[in-house]
Amino acid sequence: MRRVYLDNSATTPVDPRVVEAMLPFLTEKFGNPSSVHFYGQEARAAVDRARRELAALVGARPNEIVFLSGGTEANNLAIRGLCEHNRQHGRHVVTSAIEHSSVRGICDALERRGWEITRLPVYENGIVRTTDVRAALRDDTVLVTVMLANNEIGTLQPVADIGALVRERRAAGQRHLWLHTDAVQALGRMSVDVEQLGCDLLSMSAHKLNAPKGVGALYVRRGTRLAPQNVGGHQERERRGGTEAVPFIVAFGEAARLARAELDERVARMRRLRERFESGVEECVADVVFNGDRESRLPNISNISFRYIEGEGLLINLDMQGVAVSTGSACSSGSLEPSPVIRALGRDDELARGSIRFSLGKDTTGEEIAYVLEALPRAVSNLRRLSPLYQKALAERACFNA
Amino acid sequence: MPYSELFKDHFANPRNAGEIADADAAAEQSNPVCGDRLKLTLRITDGRIEQARFLAYGCAPTLACGSVLTEMLEGLTLEEAAQITRARIVSALGGLPARKNHAAALAVETLHAALSKL
Repeated sequence: MRRVYLDNSATTPVDPRVVEAMLPFLTEKFGNPSSVHFYGQEARAAVDRARRELAALVGARPNEIVFLSGGTEANNLAIRGLCEHNRQHGRHVVTSAIEHSSVRGICDALERRGWEITRLPVYENGIVRTTDVRAALRDDTVLVTVMLANNEIGTLQPVADIGALVRERRAAGQRHLWLHTDAVQALGRMSVDVEQLGCDLLSMSAHKLNAPKGVGALYVRRGTRLAPQNVGGHQERERRGGTEAVPFIVAFGEAARLARAELDERVARMRRLRERFESGVEECVADVVFNGDRESRLPNISNISFRYIEGEGLLINLDMQGVAVSTGSACSSGSLEPSPVIRALGRDDELARGSIRFSLGKDTTGEEIAYVLEALPRAVSNLRRLSPLYQKALAERACFNA
Repeated sequence: MPYSELFKDHFANPRNAGEIADADAAAEQSNPVCGDRLKLTLRITDGRIEQARFLAYGCAPTLACGSVLTEMLEGLTLEEAAQITRARIVSALGGLPARKNHAAALAVETLHAALSKL
């Protein structure tokens, strides 16, 4: 069967060039970077090279990059690490209603321990307003954490404006206020620059960047103090104990180098194919709603609600035709509530349950998009034919037209 | 647990999809928790279910349960139909993941609602 993978926001395949770069570090270059001998120094040099590549990708200094196990750990070290270290200065955090579940979970855990969390709304376009951030800041706020790009609808959040606001507050005397952004979805899909954003902490994950699962990084601006979450090792300048995952770090470095070199080309290609996909959907499927701002969003995500049908049924129908996507439907996640992100846009439950995320990758082809545009209308009409909601709407329309 | 071949077949090729216009018995039920809906219409002749049709909105198991239920119903007496249980529906689909058993519950509930109106 033909297979098309349109779930690159969940994970990406590892680029063969990345595999090639990492392989020697599994076999002959197996040293521990903490060892003083030749093997250790060879591994140390490779980790340092990777650190320089990550730093270059986000406009940071190499010693501001901490390698760890992935996006969730980066978010934990950033948010818990900063809050634990600064609890004497205040116990208030400002975040958004559409953060990734790891950030949501960490904030919920802080709240249970007595912290106050302000969760800012997004509007119909799926974007936080900087004026709301300004209004939410208090003298005891120590952290603002707002994602750079949303993982379900791809909307870009005004992190640079929030960064300017945080700097303004600091200049006015609120020295203990920091900004964290989860850039896991943004990395490699838009240009990311920590100076332009004005953030103090920025989370990254390798497996959304055509590198392996199990490695990520946190940018920590010089002078930003964190309580380490993994203690008992001197690695990563005492910020993250544990022997470095050298092969994965090398892979992440190579993926960062490639992403920097090919960014413009990748973005242009994904955007062009996404546009072709969305105009195709508009042409051949009725009763659809596009979720999230159509302009200010990542070039690779298209999130669409299909009226009268449920997302998990559509996902499985597409999967049976070889097309892999994901859904905000509660049925597939095992929870009872449909996607909080789609609900936060003000959509009703039916639209939230019928939402599907199509996420393109750097290697998605026009031919693949054409195949999906054949499979999708078939899947939608099969399910609508069965749907009591659709049959009822058809009957009502017939009455209206009669 | 992955879905069985039987399940996938019902999902891909649903039996008896649709609605009987002047049905002898009909019911539409929804699961108040997750919002899944099932509509069942029956034609009954001399105490036997001659024809059964379903419409469904919800996750894949809800659709597959609707399909397999209508297949089981055709030809049964009303007494026999009333005996259908969740477990029978689940096994007719080659099993369901535990967290999807609510789909079979909705099918049985809709069937009972339709029969109770006779």
